[in-house]
Amino acid sequence: MRISTGKILHAIGLTAIVVFSLFPFLWMVAASFKSQADILASPPVWFFTPTLDNYAEIFSDTKVSGAIINSLIVAAFATLLSVVLGTPAAFALARYDFRGKSDLWFWFISNRMTSPIVLALPIYLLAMSMNLLDTHLVLILVYLTFNIPIVVWIVTDQFKSIPPDLEQAARLDGADQFTIFRKIYLPLGAPGIAVSAIFSFIFSWNELLYALVLTRRAAQTAPVVATSFMSGYELPWGKIMATGTVIVLPVTIFALIVSRHMVRGLTMGATK
Amino acid sequence: MTFLRLDNIKKNYGDVSVIKGVSFSAAKGEFVVFVGPSGCGKSTLLRMIAGLEDVSEGELYIDGRDVTYEEPAKREVSMVFQSYALYPHMSVFENMAFGLRMAKKPEAEIKAQVAEAARILQLEPLLDRKPRALSGGQRQRVAIGRSIVRHPKLFLFDEPLSNLDAELRSQMRVEIAKLHRSLGATMVYVTHDQIEAMTLADRIVVLRAGLVEQIGSPTELYDTPANTFVAGFIGSPKMNFITAKVSATGPSSLVLDGAAFVGGKLVVETPAAGKAKVGDTLTVGLRPEHLTVEPAQPVLALTLDFAESLGGSTQLYARGEGEPIIVLTAGRPALQPGDALKLGIDPRHIYLFDAAGLAL
Repeated sequence: MRISTGKILHAIGLTAIVVFSLFPFLWMVAASFKSQADILASPPVWFFTPTLDNYAEIFSDTKVSGAIINSLIVAAFATLLSVVLGTPAAFALARYDFRGKSDLWFWFISNRMTSPIVLALPIYLLAMSMNLLDTHLVLILVYLTFNIPIVVWIVTDQFKSIPPDLEQAARLDGADQFTIFRKIYLPLGAPGIAVSAIFSFIFSWNELLYALVLTRRAAQTAPVVATSFMSGYELPWGKIMATGTVIVLPVTIFALIVSRHMVRGLTMGATK
Repeated sequence: MTFLRLDNIKKNYGDVSVIKGVSFSAAKGEFVVFVGPSGCGKSTLLRMIAGLEDVSEGELYIDGRDVTYEEPAKREVSMVFQSYALYPHMSVFENMAFGLRMAKKPEAEIKAQVAEAARILQLEPLLDRKPRALSGGQRQRVAIGRSIVRHPKLFLFDEPLSNLDAELRSQMRVEIAKLHRSLGATMVYVTHDQIEAMTLADRIVVLRAGLVEQIGSPTELYDTPANTFVAGFIGSPKMNFITAKVSATGPSSLVLDGAAFVGGKLVVETPAAGKAKVGDTLTVGLRPEHLTVEPAQPVLALTLDFAESLGGSTQLYARGEGEPIIVLTAGRPALQPGDALKLGIDPRHIYLFDAAGLAL
């Protein structure tokens, strides 16, 4: 069998990208099982006796488990609400013509053009005056402003790819708009909805800036807690890395579960 | 009895007029075919009957009821789409049951109706499959099945066979004709394929650029086309057209001058002779299948360009002084390209059109 040079270069390129993106991840996971001495060893040690001390320490710390629960609550609700609110908006944008449609579309995009830090102070002041500081609600609301545009863009695109004939066939079959949305667009748009849900969840789960600014103690999320281990006098890398691993794990599992929907070509066989 | 009536229906998209006033009616149980070249508005017209496109002007009646502005679902019509438009995430059963479920029919009735449709269309072994696991012909059957379960008043077909290969197409054509006979339902069928139109239709509506060119039974359109467009569109191969000048008129005959004719002249007996004057330019229409090779009284003297044998018949391409001429003849005439070709025709089969293209 002959393998072309192009294919070899392609494989080398891909390997480089995979190594480049996975190495920090590997470093984090490895460090979470190392003792502080192994972590700080120079040159780095590749073979070490794994220890669960870091994990034992963070799981005994109620601050960490509480923060993970906070993160779960905030990310789950922010994702759920953005999908529930974003998909009907996407349906309207994909299938109806109405006045101001392009302006509305641009407004959704422009939401993501602002650098988050620009809005940090105004939002802090707003939250303070509404007595929402250090609550789950304020984070969910802030994350919605970031997540809904993601959901709207991805799902609008997905809905546009559904052949309009299906909707018309359903109309002739006597389905009303809501039924068409629920019985045709939602199941057929599932891959796009799943992708947008993953993005929303990952964003809400990983978000640090607003979580840091808007929470103190009660609603502190996991990324905030991970950084809180850094104090002026010590850098407990093992704990930070273990927390990091715990933060990354649920998102990875979540992505693996929904990836099934992404690859399944649901619209196959619809037409022609 | 008029079952479907279109009264001066128009469709505009902004300033662009797509349907420019179509009136026509169909009786109950009639099979009507809209035929025309692409862009003639036939699909738009069908979709207006379905209610999927708004009517800009005019009125539309189904079974005596004004449905011009009625919701599609309330018109009691069903449509088979060119793309089939099957719901890809539902089984064949659910695809067919969808409309009945929307109508909130009891489960037992849904089962019975779908089973009946599946039996008629031989879909019984496929009821659990998803559309993607079906062949083109099977998908087509499901699409038809979905339209018959609801017992609509009117069946609409939008080029349903254009995605099938030739063999399956003629097979499905026969099945649709049988279905029409067994259901006795009123059907409106859109196609650009004149063979489908000729074989399926009780009546054909020939459309061009948003206007009706002619309405009639397939044989009427073939025998007495209203103009050169219909004459050229109906029939395969296409009708030959020769331009000629009227050089003399009689009470029931015309003498036409044309370089292609034997002796430069052609005498045509026609009851419409009075409508032409000396000096008028006419178009003479000759159907390829009406022309005879090496006749006793030749009308055209041409040179053979090339011949295509179709097995049982032969298609001859000839040229003379004017327009190229196609002849469809039985058997295999012993002719070589470049040979002289004399053609004759039964005078009754000569069509005449005036300068505007209208039948004389």
